[in-house]
Amino acid sequence: MVSLETHVIKNARAIASVFLLSCAALIQGCASWTPQTKALAESRPEGVPGAHELTEVPFFAQSDYQCGPASLAMVMVAAGVKTTPDELVPEVYLPERKGSLQVEMLAAPRRHGLVTYELAPNYAALIREIAAGTPVILLQNLGIKEGWHYAVAIGYDWDNGMLQLRSGGNERQELPFAMNEMAWRRSGYWAMVAMPPDRIPATAEEARWLSAIAALERTGQAAPARTAYRAFLERWPSNVNAAIGLANSHYALGDLRAAEQVLRDAAQRAPDSDIVLNNLAQVLADQGRAAEALPIIDRAAAVGGSHADAVGQTRSEILKKLNR
Amino acid sequence: MKTVWARMFCRLLVALMIWTPYQFATAGMIGTEQVVTASSAQADRALVTSFLNRGDVAQQLQSLGLSSKAAQDRVASLTDQEVQQLAGKIQSLPAGASDGADIAVAILIIAAIAVVVWYLWKRM
Repeated sequence: MVSLETHVIKNARAIASVFLLSCAALIQGCASWTPQTKALAESRPEGVPGAHELTEVPFFAQSDYQCGPASLAMVMVAAGVKTTPDELVPEVYLPERKGSLQVEMLAAPRRHGLVTYELAPNYAALIREIAAGTPVILLQNLGIKEGWHYAVAIGYDWDNGMLQLRSGGNERQELPFAMNEMAWRRSGYWAMVAMPPDRIPATAEEARWLSAIAALERTGQAAPARTAYRAFLERWPSNVNAAIGLANSHYALGDLRAAEQVLRDAAQRAPDSDIVLNNLAQVLADQGRAAEALPIIDRAAAVGGSHADAVGQTRSEILKKLNR
Repeated sequence: MKTVWARMFCRLLVALMIWTPYQFATAGMIGTEQVVTASSAQADRALVTSFLNRGDVAQQLQSLGLSSKAAQDRVASLTDQEVQQLAGKIQSLPAGASDGADIAVAILIIAAIAVVVWYLWKRM
């Protein structure tokens, strides 16, 4: 009888060769498993240093199933909001799902005055945000059980192809880009940042960043929304929708004069915007200047756009004020 | 209130108002979210749909272990698009939970295999 051990040792060479060949095949094939790492390796994103690590991002170890609250706490504290994972559990954790949904990860920081933004799904965006000083929450799938897991990317070393993460109980986990990609690609390369209202993500696209600010405004946080719209307009001064947003924030905070000023500027740039004209007329009427408001609301009505109903209502109110 | 139906309708309207976004509540001004998302003639219909979707999603969140108030608050922070993404899919969408140790385990397994192979090779 040949024991298993003897059998293995006698055939070790053969077994090892098969194994090595399979590894080689795997490694060859790996490049197609990790296409973004391949692309990243071929060219470093423009204008970023070879390596950068955000050592000041705090670490919160997660408890069971709560990588969501822990990850959020880390990036929110980094953005200047005082919070802890325990405080965030009721805002993102779903007891029966034993985890946190992606849209709730985006929504929760808004209630604390931050603007959240989903990054473009690629490695270059991730690297560029870290290079600009912003930690990034990634959604990975670790392939075991349900496997979904949020971790915070806080550094990279492009020269050596490594990513640094705060993940689970690990304050500093260092992973090759390819390894991270294998886990990250299963979420469609999902990544998000949470910004203090006066800062704009390095990779922000104009229209999507505006929607992100509007999402903050929708939660009633007029003051941080105002800050964010102002910063937006410094970067993209001709964006009329942002001006509308800024004026709405001023209005919500009771600063009618400021709202009027912003809307007058916007009306010069966009003389046919029924929204700008409507809101300007409203602001004037609220300051007791209904007579000035009337010709403006008439212009808005003349545009006849999709907001005709709202415009009509505003006009009736103004006419009432003028007793007509 | 004239009829049972009128009363019920009023109750429904009041309930739906919980989700009135902050901008809309400022009378007369057209809200920013309306500007940046929908700008078609169906804007009104989209609004009603959004209210109904929010109701659905809030109910689903409640069935997953949240109190009624928590469910409403959390839905209120979502944009219309985000509510749309959730509607009907809360059970199946990814819910991040794992603790990250698994990637370390995977690395260890690969390292262990490499050591075994090296050892076997040396023995020949």
